[in-house]
Amino acid sequence: MLHTKKLLVMALAALAVLPSAAQDKIEIKFWHIFQDDNRLGWSRGVAEEFNKLYPQYNVTVEAFENYEVLLNATEQALEQGTAPAIVQYFEVATQRARDLGFFKPVQEALAGREEVLGIPVDFEDFIQPVVNYYTLDGQFTSMPWNSSTPILYTNTAFLEAAGLEKPPATWQELEAACEAVMALPNAPQFCITWPNHGWFFEQWLAQQNAEIVNNGNGRQARATEVLLTSENAINIASWWKSMYDRGYYYYSGKQRDWTATEQAIQTGQTAFIITSSADARNITEAAAANGINIVTTRMPFDEKYGWTGNIIGGASLWLVDGLDPAVEEGALAFLLFLNNTENAASWHQATGYLPIRQSSVELLESQGWFEQNPNFFTASDQINNSQVTSATSGGLFGTFVETRNLVTQAIEDLMLKGGDVAERMAAAKAEADKLLADYNSLFGE
Amino acid sequence: METTALLITMLSALVGSAVMARTFARLGYQPLNGFLLGALGGAFGAQIFSLPLNYCAFAPEQRAADVVLGLILVAVGVALVIVPMRWLAERWAKRREGALVAGQQSQGVFKGRLTPFLLLAPTLTILVLFLYYPFIDTFRLSTLLVGRGAAARSRFLCLQNFTDLLYDPQYHQSVVVTFVIAFAIVFVGIAISLLIATLAYQPIKGANVYRTLLVWPYAVSPVVAGVIFQLMFDPAAGVINYFTNSLFGVRLDWLKDGTLATIAVILTSVWKTVGFNILFYIAGLQNVPKDLQEAAAVDGANVVQRFFRITWPLLSPITFFLVITNLTYAFFEIFGTIDYLTAGGPLNATDVMIYRVYELQSQTIGLGRAAAESLVLFLVVIGLTVIQFRNERRVNYGA
Repeated sequence: MLHTKKLLVMALAALAVLPSAAQDKIEIKFWHIFQDDNRLGWSRGVAEEFNKLYPQYNVTVEAFENYEVLLNATEQALEQGTAPAIVQYFEVATQRARDLGFFKPVQEALAGREEVLGIPVDFEDFIQPVVNYYTLDGQFTSMPWNSSTPILYTNTAFLEAAGLEKPPATWQELEAACEAVMALPNAPQFCITWPNHGWFFEQWLAQQNAEIVNNGNGRQARATEVLLTSENAINIASWWKSMYDRGYYYYSGKQRDWTATEQAIQTGQTAFIITSSADARNITEAAAANGINIVTTRMPFDEKYGWTGNIIGGASLWLVDGLDPAVEEGALAFLLFLNNTENAASWHQATGYLPIRQSSVELLESQGWFEQNPNFFTASDQINNSQVTSATSGGLFGTFVETRNLVTQAIEDLMLKGGDVAERMAAAKAEADKLLADYNSLFGE
Repeated sequence: METTALLITMLSALVGSAVMARTFARLGYQPLNGFLLGALGGAFGAQIFSLPLNYCAFAPEQRAADVVLGLILVAVGVALVIVPMRWLAERWAKRREGALVAGQQSQGVFKGRLTPFLLLAPTLTILVLFLYYPFIDTFRLSTLLVGRGAAARSRFLCLQNFTDLLYDPQYHQSVVVTFVIAFAIVFVGIAISLLIATLAYQPIKGANVYRTLLVWPYAVSPVVAGVIFQLMFDPAAGVINYFTNSLFGVRLDWLKDGTLATIAVILTSVWKTVGFNILFYIAGLQNVPKDLQEAAAVDGANVVQRFFRITWPLLSPITFFLVITNLTYAFFEIFGTIDYLTAGGPLNATDVMIYRVYELQSQTIGLGRAAAESLVLFLVVIGLTVIQFRNERRVNYGA
C-alpha cells in the first residue's frame, strides 16, 4: 500500500516536472522530403548536435512523401497556427514559393547581421551558382541545401574496348563514341540513356546560354512567354530525337524514369548515362557490385554553341513568415548551422549533393576526399566553372513544373511518334504560354 | 441576368407543379395542393445548383455547351426535389390505406426518435467531416481556376472546367483507355480466378498451403506491384525480356508500345486482384450443395453442364460482389500501379482518368480542373454501379 502511494507521488512529481522542462525550450520545426534513412538520419543528427550546442532550442525534423504533400501540409499548418519554421521547396517551385507569400527572405530576417548566435553568415562563401539561383530582387531569399547537377557516367570497359582515351565531352564526341561502342562485337543494347525529363532539356539550354522564359529568364520582370521555339530549344529537341532515331538513346517508354535508366547502366545495358550527381554514390556502388567500373565527367555540350555553364538543381529551405521572434532567431541560426563548412561537406559526402560552400570544397580537398572519390568531384567542377548569366542562373516562373512536363511529353511524342520538331515544340509552347497566362492572371500584379 | 433566372425558376415551377398535380390527382388528393407544392419544389430545385453558380452558365458570353450543361443542372436540381416529393406523397397514400396494419410491427424498433440518431452520431460525424464535406467542397473547387496551397488566389470559371472536357481529345482518349483497362481487368481477373479457385477447391494434398499462397498477391500494395512489374517489364534489363529473348529470340518494348503497355497494366492489376477473387470463390464453392451436383450427375449432366447449370448460377452473388469491387479497383486503386509502371505513358496510352486527376491536382493551378474531372469519374462509377444493381435481378441468392 505504502509502495503504491510512493509510486503515485513520484509519478505526479514527474508529470509536474516534464512539461515545464519541455516548455523551457523553444520549439523549431523543420520539414523536408527525405524519408530515406540516410538523408533523414543525417538531418536528424545535425539537429541533435544543434540542440546540444544551443540547449535553449529544440529542433525537430519531420519528413514528407514529396514536395506537393509537404506544400499542402505547410499551408494547413499555417491556417491552424502550427506552422513549421523551416520548409523545403524544389528549385522550379521557387517563383511559386515567392508568390504564395508565406515566407520571409532570409536576408531580410538577418537584417544586416554578420552572425546569429555566433554562427557566421558569410554569404560570400557560398558558391556563385547557388547564390545566383536564390538571390531574388537583390535579396538572398531562401537557404540552399540540396543542390545537384547532371553529369555523365561512363562504363570504362566499353570505353577501352572502343579504343577511346577519355569519355566524350561534347555531343559530337558522344555521337562518335556511340558509333564506335555500338560497332563492338559485344556491344551493349544501347549506347546512352538519361531519364526523359525536362530537367535535361533545361540544362542544355543553359549550356548554350539560352533562356527558357522571357524578361531575363523571369528575373528582371515577371515572365510572360515560354521560349520553347527558340533556335536552341529546337536544336536540343532535334538532337535528342536523332540520338533515339539512330538507336543510341535508350528510352524505357516511361517518363521521368530514374529507376530504369540507372538500372540500365548498372547492368551494362548501356555504356553511358547522364543523370543527377546526387546519384553518384548509388550508381558507382551498384555498378561495382556487378563488376562494372564507372567514371564521371561533365555533361556533354553542343560544340556548335559552346559551353556557358550548368544550372543547379535540387531544393532550398524557406523561412516561414510571421514567426515568434525567438523562434525565427533559432530557425535562422539552425539554417546557418546546417550549412556551415563542416556540415555542408559531410552532407556532400553522405549523398553526392554539391558542397555549396567554397570553404567546404577546400576542406574536402585538404582531406583528400576528391582524390579518393573522383566521381564526387565532377559536379563541383562543373558548377564552379560555370559562367554567371541569366540563363545559367535558372528560370523563374510560376508554371515551371507543368512546363517541364509539357517538354517531357513533347520529347516523348517526337521519339515514339516522330513528326516535325518545330511544329511539336510550337504546340508545347502554346500550351505552356496559356498555363503561364492563367497563372499570371491569378498571381500577377 | 435576373430575367434569365426568373424565367428558369418559373419554368421549373411549372414543370414541378404539373408533375405533382398529376400525382395528387392519381392518389385522390386535391390537385390544387399538389400544384402549389410542386411549384414551390420546382422553383426551389432550380436554385440548388444555379444559385451557387449565380446563373453564370446563362451569361451572354457563354458557349452553347455551358448553357446546355447549365440547363441539365437545373433539371437535375428540380428532379432532386420533385422525385422524393412524389415518393413521399405515394407513401402517405399507402399508409392511409393500410393505417391499421402499420401499428403492428413495433417489435425490435426504437421507441424514441432520438435514440437511433444518437447511436449513429459517431459514424455520421466522421462521414460528414472526412467524406461529405470534402465531397461538397469538390463541387466548389470544380468551378474555379485554383492551385494547391493557394486557395486565396482563384478565379471563377463557371462550368468551363466541365465543358472544356468536351473539346479535349486527350481527355476523350483517357476515357476510352479507362474503360478498356477496367473491363479487361474485370473479365480477365474473374475468369482466371474462377478457374484457379475451381482447381484449388479440388481435394488435393496440401490444398490449404496452395490456397494461402494464392491469396498472397492481394497483400501487396498496388504501388509495390507497380515497382515489381516495372523492373520485370523493363525492355533493357527486365527479366521478362530476358526470358523471351533466350527462349524465342524476341525482345518486346513493353513500356514503349501503347498496346503492350496497356497489356502490362492489365496483367499487373489482374495478378494483384486475383488473390482476393480466389478467396471469395473458394468460399462460394464450399457453399454449393453437393447433393445438387450429385443429382445432376445421376441425371447424366457432364462436368461442363454441371458447372454452367449449377455452380455458375449459385456463385452469382459472389460474382456480382466481385464485379463491383473489381470495377472500383480498376477505376480508382489502379492509380498506384500506373504511377510506378507506366506513369500514364507511352503517349498517354495508359493515362486512365484517375491518373489524370492526380497529374492535374499536382500542377500549380490544376486543382479546379482536377476536381471537375474527379466528379465526372465519380458519376461514371456511380452509373456503372447502378447498372450493376439493376442486373441484380438475375443474381440467385438461393432459397
